[in-house]
Amino acid sequence: MSELLVKNAYVIDPINHIDGEVMDIAVKDGYIVEDVGPKATVLDAEGCLTLPGGVDSHTHVCGTKVNFGRYMSPEDMRAGREVRRGVKHATSGYSVPTTYANSYRYALMGYTTLLEGAMAPLEARHTHEEFSATPLQDMMANTLFDGNWAVMKAVAEGDIERVAAIVGWTLSAVKGFGIKLTNPGGTEAWGYGKDISCIKDEVPHFGVTPAEIIEAMIQACEMLRLPHSVHLHCNNLGTPGNYACTIGTFNLVPDLNKTRQSLYATHVQFHSYGGSDWKTFCSKAEPVAYTVNNLPQIVIDMGQVMFGKTTTMTADGPMEFNLYRLHHNKWSNHDVELETGSGIIPVLYRKKNLVNSIMWSIGLELALLVKDPWRCLLTTDNPNGAPFVKYPEIIALLMSKKYRDAEFATVNRRTESRVILPALEREMDWNEIAVMTRAGQAKALGITGIGKGHLGIGAEADIAVYPLKVGEIDPAQEYQKIIDGFSKTRWTVKRGRPVARDGEILVHGENTTIWVDPKISPEHDMSHDPEFTEMFNHWYSVRMSNYPVQDEYLKRNLRIETEATI
Amino acid sequence: MKALFNTGRTVAQGQGLEVKARPEYMEATSICMMNPVDLMDLDLEEGERVLVRGPAGEVVLTTVQNEGIPRGTVYVPMGPYANAVVDTETHATGMPDFKSCIVDLEPTDDEVKSQTELMEAVGGLAYRGDEE
Amino acid sequence: MIHEDMICPFCGCLCDDLVIETKGTEVVRVDNACTLGSHKLMNAGKHRLKGPIMRDSGQWRDASYEEAIEYAAGILLDADRPLLYGWSSTQGEAQGTGVSMAELLGGVIDSTTSVCHGPSILAIQEVGHPGCTLGQVKNRADLIVYWGCNPTEAHPRHMSRYTTYADGYFLENAFRDRKLILVDVRKTETASIADEFVQVKPGGDYAVLSALRAIVRGREDVVPPTVAGVTKEQLLRVAALCKEAKFGALFFGVGLTMSPGKYKNVRNAIELVDELNRHTKFTLTPLRGHYNVYGSNEVFTWMTGYPYAVDFSRQIAFYNPGETTAVDLMARKECDAALIVASDPGAHFPKKCLEHLASIPTVLIDPMHTMTTPLVKCQIPTAVTGMDAPGTAYRMDGVPIHVKKFLDLGYPTDTEIIGKIFEKVKEVRHP
Repeated sequence: MSELLVKNAYVIDPINHIDGEVMDIAVKDGYIVEDVGPKATVLDAEGCLTLPGGVDSHTHVCGTKVNFGRYMSPEDMRAGREVRRGVKHATSGYSVPTTYANSYRYALMGYTTLLEGAMAPLEARHTHEEFSATPLQDMMANTLFDGNWAVMKAVAEGDIERVAAIVGWTLSAVKGFGIKLTNPGGTEAWGYGKDISCIKDEVPHFGVTPAEIIEAMIQACEMLRLPHSVHLHCNNLGTPGNYACTIGTFNLVPDLNKTRQSLYATHVQFHSYGGSDWKTFCSKAEPVAYTVNNLPQIVIDMGQVMFGKTTTMTADGPMEFNLYRLHHNKWSNHDVELETGSGIIPVLYRKKNLVNSIMWSIGLELALLVKDPWRCLLTTDNPNGAPFVKYPEIIALLMSKKYRDAEFATVNRRTESRVILPALEREMDWNEIAVMTRAGQAKALGITGIGKGHLGIGAEADIAVYPLKVGEIDPAQEYQKIIDGFSKTRWTVKRGRPVARDGEILVHGENTTIWVDPKISPEHDMSHDPEFTEMFNHWYSVRMSNYPVQDEYLKRNLRIETEATI
Repeated sequence: MKALFNTGRTVAQGQGLEVKARPEYMEATSICMMNPVDLMDLDLEEGERVLVRGPAGEVVLTTVQNEGIPRGTVYVPMGPYANAVVDTETHATGMPDFKSCIVDLEPTDDEVKSQTELMEAVGGLAYRGDEE
Repeated sequence: MIHEDMICPFCGCLCDDLVIETKGTEVVRVDNACTLGSHKLMNAGKHRLKGPIMRDSGQWRDASYEEAIEYAAGILLDADRPLLYGWSSTQGEAQGTGVSMAELLGGVIDSTTSVCHGPSILAIQEVGHPGCTLGQVKNRADLIVYWGCNPTEAHPRHMSRYTTYADGYFLENAFRDRKLILVDVRKTETASIADEFVQVKPGGDYAVLSALRAIVRGREDVVPPTVAGVTKEQLLRVAALCKEAKFGALFFGVGLTMSPGKYKNVRNAIELVDELNRHTKFTLTPLRGHYNVYGSNEVFTWMTGYPYAVDFSRQIAFYNPGETTAVDLMARKECDAALIVASDPGAHFPKKCLEHLASIPTVLIDPMHTMTTPLVKCQIPTAVTGMDAPGTAYRMDGVPIHVKKFLDLGYPTDTEIIGKIFEKVKEVRHP
């Protein structure tokens, strides 16, 4: 039995409507309680900003593609090396850090829960192996269904219940958390070197369109009663003029769920481009944000680009090849049979570059133009837009017009005519930042009920105390203090235990893997479906019986059983 | 005769791989496969022995003729016999010249050494506790 | 007892459709495996070392596990530059423990990669890797290229499961519709079924790849009448086959990594594939040998950032193949103790390395009496993953497979033994 008391905490806890109240937080056995005894360990927050542990609802930190990014990039590994000290292992990597490095750096920034944005079901075991090697965060895996043959066939037959049954079986089998669609249909087309340009194109051979896949999956997701909505990486990422496709996609989405969005659209910065080619490239954040503002069933994340070196990695194989043809650096590709694809290339976002400068502006514009912070979350699509260690700078940019202007003065001069960023006056407050970095993320993922993203009684005791005195700092002027303050917590508490203090890692912890196990009626159980098993054993390169991830791959885990309606 | 020394996998070598202390592995790895014309030039019949002298040392192997191997090249299954002549130079890659060293071949009546003899020659001590 | 859908722990194909029948601790039947896998599995319980052995004043003697573990920890702790080498024929779990131990010891950890596809990784680190899973090739590829490898002998089921003889979803008559190109310095058995057999003069792979790149880029005018023994006519035919294919898959072996040019050969092959992707779909996959050598690269990478040859002597992870690779460390007589796990440098390292290995304190963790046995001071037998131990392995295309157990012979696993050595190390050297 362990007890902890965080005293004199200046708490912002948006889910519980606490906005700047000095209070004590009592913790017992990893959960937040009313009160603790006199022997509890005391952490004196001394009035510092105290938030629920950070939640990242879209990041790439574990799995086949991430590890390949490390494997192919010794130069990136050398850029992030730190020595072994105490409980802390040696680390490598800047934009694609090792599992330990990811975990330590997120913990130092106060993040305690991460959603890996893309797990190919066939390679799920790998993701779970890396989850187990991530000591300080709880992990979830979005599971890729964008080019899933069985799903596309069921969509073509108009059998949504079958779609739901396939998704449910797969999530249980691979211990996944939610549905991820990356360039739906496009990754299948890429199997023969082709792509899909937008939602009305037909996927070669399968006779379905991305629009049909997206609509069917949104319905299937609700049939399975999954905590999170469909998580979509739209078609046509990264091309001039793609904003129209993005808006068209958003307009497909029905409002089916009272407690959360029906569609989570990720890294929308990469999907809000105007112009007809790179020469006329410009921001279309305004119409995209306008659409989001009008459709409460949609939540987006920024996918902010920050200047500097990084590595792009996505299941969107065709997009990565196009990017390779622009950058001419090294390129890796990894198509996954019957399921999805992926690609990786290193990039350098430069202030001198007009397109890069516009991209940087668009992410910020989206965040500032979407009125409700619960509906535009702070991400970089780590590491695609920038490594997550840049989050504090993004927070500062959102809180300070002065900082934005100072930065804007250093980017490509022609940017001004292509964006509206300089005209945006909005400066976010502390509460909005808390929403965009934890509360909103937890709500969008549907994990507030299991005690994530808030500090209410019964919540998991994941707490971040930042060395920031809210009353004493003017974020609009003192943006450097904001950057420094959000870079290193005074304390990061994970499951009731202080794991980081002032930039030091204190313990080697153990993660919890959160996964979803939809309870489906026997007549919809795909494990006995002749067509499904036949497809498996004929066209996959592994036997169906060897496909599911065994329980031993989840060391500590939280299984969320849902009552599916099928 | 000078020849290019190529090493690699064979099925017999692969099968012997798991139980290398046994005679099958010696038979599978102590052969020198070569073009029949080269064999003739050395005045050897298949099955007779050849002394191979390379950058790191020499080894006696049993010849096997193979028409798929071009003249001027010998193919030796990867294993301790091949490695008796391969040097440790890796040209800063970590990989020795397993497929590119030049050797000198001459006929010999010397016997092919056992694996045990090879390992003892580099300072090892044979283990015989599992002999039946 | 009949065990279905079992995984073959031999090569990087990790075939997972084996049927194994056991009677007690005997394997009586193996179905679906190739000759190499069958041979290994049929002899599953045989030829095992009964227990640990140690050398004492010029003699081998039996030892207890405790004594051998104590000895292993002792030599590693006493060493200034311990080398932990091998790792390709064991469980991923053991590999992870090995990395942690190397880190704490400040030692070097390297896998058999360095003498196999290490150069392929160096090339990938320069130019990337356009690849895919093997099922993608099976279902789509209408052109297969094998370069510098001999699947018939080294990966005997590769062709039947994933390429030439496999059914393909998008191919009506897969065997007829799939073309096969074989490139090698010698004419092997595989050549007889190839549509094109390209016989390259030894050492000429780089030049042939460059010529093909030139042709694919439309610069056949710069290609001379023959390149490394290959006629221009044949090169033009090969390039045309590649460009006309709807999905081409190039597999390559150590014929590229070990011959002159080494990683530059592989780099050139990758750049040819990159070039072909501007015309059609093309992928490339190294044919990995040991069943879990790719797993060692994966585990080392997520833990240290580098796939092999990781040196912890500076307390950071340091990687410099050519310096921190096992052959070089031994050739320079730099390592002063070695733990060899699930591999056989005695059979596969140049003689001069073995002379050094025999002169330093060494422990071998391996189930069998191998070529390395005479060179070490102590050997600890363990269960074989995929026979009497389960574990994780990564197929040559990166697909992680759970390897299953079908025998119980009472041996501890590699993970258990290395874990116990690590515990002893931690008693002395605190994290």
